[in-house]
Amino acid sequence: MKSTWDRRTFIKLTASASGALVAGVCLQSCTSGTVPATAHEFSPLIKIDTKGWVTLIAKNPEIGQGIKTSLPMILAEELGADWDKVKVIQGDFDKAYEEQWAGGSYAIILNWDMMRTAAAKVRHVLLQAASKKMNIRVSELTTSKGKVLHSESGESLPFEKLLLEASKLPLPETVEFKPTDSFEIIGKNTPQVDLDQLVSGGTKFSIDIKLPGMLYATVLKNPVFDGGAGDYDDTRTRSVNGVVDVIELNNSDYGGRLIAPNSPNFVNGIAVLAKSTWAAFKGAQVLDVVWDNADARKENTAEIFERFQLQLNDTTIERKDGDLSRAKRNADSNFEAMYQVPFLAHIPMEPMNCTVDFRDDLCEVWAPTQNPKALQEGLIKLFGLQPEQIKIHLPRIGGAFGRRYYVDYAMDAAILSKKVQKPVKLIWTREEDIRHDWYRPASIQKMAASLDKEGRVTGWQHVLANASRKTCLGREGRPAGTEIDKYEFPAGFVPDLQFEYGHVLSDVPLGQWRSVGHSAVAFAVHSFLDELAILSKMDPMDYFLEFLGPARMVPVVDDYAFDAKRLISVVEQVRRNSNWDVPLPKGQGRGFAASKHSGSFVAEVVTVSVDANENITILRVDAVVDCGIVINPTGAKAQVEGGILEGLSAALYGEITVKNGVAEQSNFHDYKWIRMDEAPEIHVEFITNNLPPRGLGEPPLPPAAPALTNAIFAATGKRIRKLPIL
Amino acid sequence: MPSYTLTVNAEKRTVSVDSDTPLLWVLRDHLGLTGTKYGCGRGICGNCTVHYQGNAIRSCVLPITSVLEGNIVTIEGLSENENHPVQQAWMELDVPQCGYCQSGQIMATVDLLSKIKNPTDADINTAMQGVLCRCGTYSRIRKAIHRAASIQDK
Ligand code: FES
Ligand code: FES
Repeated sequence: MKSTWDRRTFIKLTASASGALVAGVCLQSCTSGTVPATAHEFSPLIKIDTKGWVTLIAKNPEIGQGIKTSLPMILAEELGADWDKVKVIQGDFDKAYEEQWAGGSYAIILNWDMMRTAAAKVRHVLLQAASKKMNIRVSELTTSKGKVLHSESGESLPFEKLLLEASKLPLPETVEFKPTDSFEIIGKNTPQVDLDQLVSGGTKFSIDIKLPGMLYATVLKNPVFDGGAGDYDDTRTRSVNGVVDVIELNNSDYGGRLIAPNSPNFVNGIAVLAKSTWAAFKGAQVLDVVWDNADARKENTAEIFERFQLQLNDTTIERKDGDLSRAKRNADSNFEAMYQVPFLAHIPMEPMNCTVDFRDDLCEVWAPTQNPKALQEGLIKLFGLQPEQIKIHLPRIGGAFGRRYYVDYAMDAAILSKKVQKPVKLIWTREEDIRHDWYRPASIQKMAASLDKEGRVTGWQHVLANASRKTCLGREGRPAGTEIDKYEFPAGFVPDLQFEYGHVLSDVPLGQWRSVGHSAVAFAVHSFLDELAILSKMDPMDYFLEFLGPARMVPVVDDYAFDAKRLISVVEQVRRNSNWDVPLPKGQGRGFAASKHSGSFVAEVVTVSVDANENITILRVDAVVDCGIVINPTGAKAQVEGGILEGLSAALYGEITVKNGVAEQSNFHDYKWIRMDEAPEIHVEFITNNLPPRGLGEPPLPPAAPALTNAIFAATGKRIRKLPIL
Repeated sequence: MPSYTLTVNAEKRTVSVDSDTPLLWVLRDHLGLTGTKYGCGRGICGNCTVHYQGNAIRSCVLPITSVLEGNIVTIEGLSENENHPVQQAWMELDVPQCGYCQSGQIMATVDLLSKIKNPTDADINTAMQGVLCRCGTYSRIRKAIHRAASIQDK
């Protein structure tokens, strides 16, 4: 048996066997001994074969954000490939691909230059090879649609004709990028690469993996947050047809609650292994278990919020500009408001699951993870493995939203597979998924503004108190994280400004949720600005534009300035698109919010109608986005649509409440989300420019909730300061 | 364990499972038809939608014993080459995000269009509100349903 996996073994082998400079890589037709050089791997991400097909590796986890299409589009563009002759293959977790994670809307930001550099190097050697063959200077040649072109003479050579020559040339150290005005692929609506599979049930998500001899498992976890182990009797479980084994998972046996940074360990539970999913589910249902919860805090939501409230008066200062007390003293008036947001679950449609084949010292994993590195680190720490003993496949993921940044479910599966020395597919029920999430932190936020005679803001105070996602796994003794940082808007826009954080400890597991802290902070900031506008008897959009001031770079911290101009221009455009200045009939209203996140600027207007019984209908949403260059408009628009619907769903319904340390919600009947009949029409427009592309998964989300509640105020005069609305 | 014969995508298939096994798990674990998805297991999310005797059903809550009489159609049985009008419309409009719910969305749409040839937005709301899409693809689904109706008309 092979003792390690090495992607490169195969390549080295074929290269040395050929004895030539050409590193021939067999794609499909290779048999040992013969080495048909059917393709050349120019870089770990790019292969070109003798028929002119270009194979590109999609290296990041695809969670529905379209990255499996957009990163290869960048490669193809810079290479000058013909998109119709591109094959995209999902990469496994492999250090050759460098960073491979999905989070913080960073994929495009981090990979824009990397993708272009990788492809430009290959283009360079293709051009050199062509130059030699055509006897034309490199500077007169370009690549386009899988060919090297000499536009003056109209002569061209397809990539496949250049393969042998080009493969002998060393890749250059430095490259020049293609000018943006020559883009042929970037900026064009490009349907995602797996569409045919997705519409016919052919896509294999992790949950669809089946291995020979595999057992199906599920796990019943202690429902109490940070609860202890269970005392159980498995007689009834073992009598269920198909049940094979019952295995205890106590985190104290496996490294405690935190295995590695960012790798929370599993919650104490008991796993049932069976010959089918249904048998495992049934077995878990009839398990007799008494949990030891003597040490758990057994918290309640009301009491948690009371502690947040108290903590507002005992804070650390995260940012201090000017002198807030002076602003208060000199103000014509001071105004204060409190906002509250709940814990939120992620509920990706594909429940937590993972398939692991961990036999002897080799651990092969099919994981729906946003964070394969954390998974690898966790496995190394937990089992003392070397990286070479771990292979992580990255099948398409049925939604993530930040939940799959944590790898607890994968740890469960690895332990089980190692124990039984068989492949195991672990599936959590939806109930386990909702009760054992890493929730979006709830918070209470106090906003205070000092205003001059004209209602202009001269002083700004933002105090946030909550239990932080950064400390959720520790109790006393771990350093306090903060959920409001010094970069927050409107830092730099108000002379006397202060941000404060009040830190509370809680057992509720907390984590990243699409747009992370911004989802909570933006609700408070943009509701408050709307309130200030109303107080000053001004149109909220006019008020906001006045608040931003002239189009300029606003210094925020030493090395970071906020481009007010880009925010202003999305606001002005959404004003036109939403007919902001055209009055609405009674009972209807428009609300607005605009923010910057992950380098992208988004302005949104929500239009609602509210009837006499307070039924809210969201009629329409207008969004204008400046994220720099848009790689794939159809995919980008999908991200905006999805982010907005998520923001609206959470604002209307999203709430996890806790009773005696247990999440009270457990499935989609009590954790509601927008359905087809409530989904508004969403109009999206992108501002076109040639600025570097920025993140888009998260930025559309934060403005949605305040835009909605501001719209409800416009329609009814009722101010909503506490989410969810319903 | 008892054995049962059912008709899936016009083929007879025999499986040995407990009588209370939901059709969902028969399809997924025993017949290898993993296009049908588990989302909630309680009939709330519609991700497990398949057709039985020409009607959309929630396969997660129907035990095998209740689906032995007629043909079951799953997403895999909709067409040979992804050329069903609904699949075509879905691809034209690039509907899926993560894609996990889309088998359920497509099966519910095929059922709707078999009953109402040209559904209104209100018809679409009624027929589709049972199928949850966490990623928020609803506006594209709506457009794709209208598009599929017009493809089917031709
Ligand atoms: S899995 Fe059947 S309705 Fe949700
Ligand atoms: S596309 Fe992801 S749940 Fe619908």
